[in-house]
Amino acid sequence: MGLQVVGISEIKISYSLDDILITYSLGSCIGVTAYDPVIRVGGMIHYMLPLSQISPEKAAGKPGMFADTGVPELFREMLACGAAKERLIVKVAGGAQLMDQNKFFNIGERNFLILRKILWKNNILIKASDVGGVISRTLRFELETGKVTVKSVKGEVEL
Amino acid sequence: MNKKEQIVSKISSFPTLPVMTHRLIKALNDPENAATEIVRIIKFDPALTANVLKAANSSYLGFRRPANSLSEATFRLGTKWIFQIAVSSLIYSNLNRPAAGYDMSGEELWRHSLATALMAESLSSLLKIRDSGLIYTAALLHDMGKIVIGEFIADSFKDIQRIINEKNISFELAEEEVLGVSHTEIGALLAESWHFPSVIADCIRWHHNPDLYPQNEPALDIVHIADATCLMEGIGLGRDDLQYRLSEKAVTRLNLSNNVLEAAISQTLLNLEDVENLFREALPAANVREVKK
Repeated sequence: MGLQVVGISEIKISYSLDDILITYSLGSCIGVTAYDPVIRVGGMIHYMLPLSQISPEKAAGKPGMFADTGVPELFREMLACGAAKERLIVKVAGGAQLMDQNKFFNIGERNFLILRKILWKNNILIKASDVGGVISRTLRFELETGKVTVKSVKGEVEL
Repeated sequence: MNKKEQIVSKISSFPTLPVMTHRLIKALNDPENAATEIVRIIKFDPALTANVLKAANSSYLGFRRPANSLSEATFRLGTKWIFQIAVSSLIYSNLNRPAAGYDMSGEELWRHSLATALMAESLSSLLKIRDSGLIYTAALLHDMGKIVIGEFIADSFKDIQRIINEKNISFELAEEEVLGVSHTEIGALLAESWHFPSVIADCIRWHHNPDLYPQNEPALDIVHIADATCLMEGIGLGRDDLQYRLSEKAVTRLNLSNNVLEAAISQTLLNLEDVENLFREALPAANVREVKK
């Protein structure tokens, strides 16, 4: 156990207290952490794209690639491990863009928009987030304490 | 010597690409004879033949019966696939080198290069742009200038970053302002020094600024969008991070929709995992270090 790297389009769940879930280089992609502090189960996803409709067959093989298939899957796996929805602490990082991208092919912004819709439908709040901007991020999540930090060229901050 | 001259003088110390790369590109340009010609060229080089066969027989592709010859592998996997594996493995050792000042390890630069090449391939196939292999090769080589210019970036990084912040210009323009030359120009000069087809050099030279190119060149627009998308998705980022621009005009010229772009992105991620697996299995262990970030 120890450092568990969550690659692009991956979902990882852990209930091992010495685990640290980490995902690197979130550009327009979004990393979401979910934590049940009572039973101390945590999960992380690093998804790339908002909607699986562009390729349902890929979503079937790799649900973590898309927000609409991956985020519900993250919660399903958490609940299957005994987590309770009302206790989940959800934190979010990523959704960045290139310079002056604005609305134009702005996958980062759409990634965050879809996430908020999914969470809103499921009555889950975002406890903290660090999204947008022209900056890539590394998201790190300690299972023992539930501490989530975001590192970028600007330095490291706790969410 | 000023900085630009110092950097340009380093070009000659960059390892030359194997001469077979040229011959493969030339062969692919002649679609009627490409299949037989490419097999003939690869056969000349026992190490390359071994790599292509290992890749073709890698557990990933999961053939029950191994491909025993290049012709059989080409028949099963297609000429283009064989070309891409051959060119990638020829170029691998030239590109798996750190770009020091950009804080990019060899693996990261290689991963970004490979991802951009695969993204360019997905885009050209979805947009039905006839690609002779030049687009794949140009995309693979688009950032090699970073390896040459890297050592000069370290000292100038603060100045470059200050100019980006002050003027809101993208990284390669600030790079040019501080050093007198950018990684795009250095990469293009390298390609020209190897007498590559001029479209490859032009794709490298203008890959961040396709609108400045006087003609309409779909290959350039594809390489530009493939690179920008891989940066945006965070595949192989350095210290220059996301400080680049995506040309709206290039998107319009290609008539590229959101759906096609996203389909290409998802396909690229899967292809990247496959090809990275192939390389891990096919190339000697000493040559390939675990891809990490």
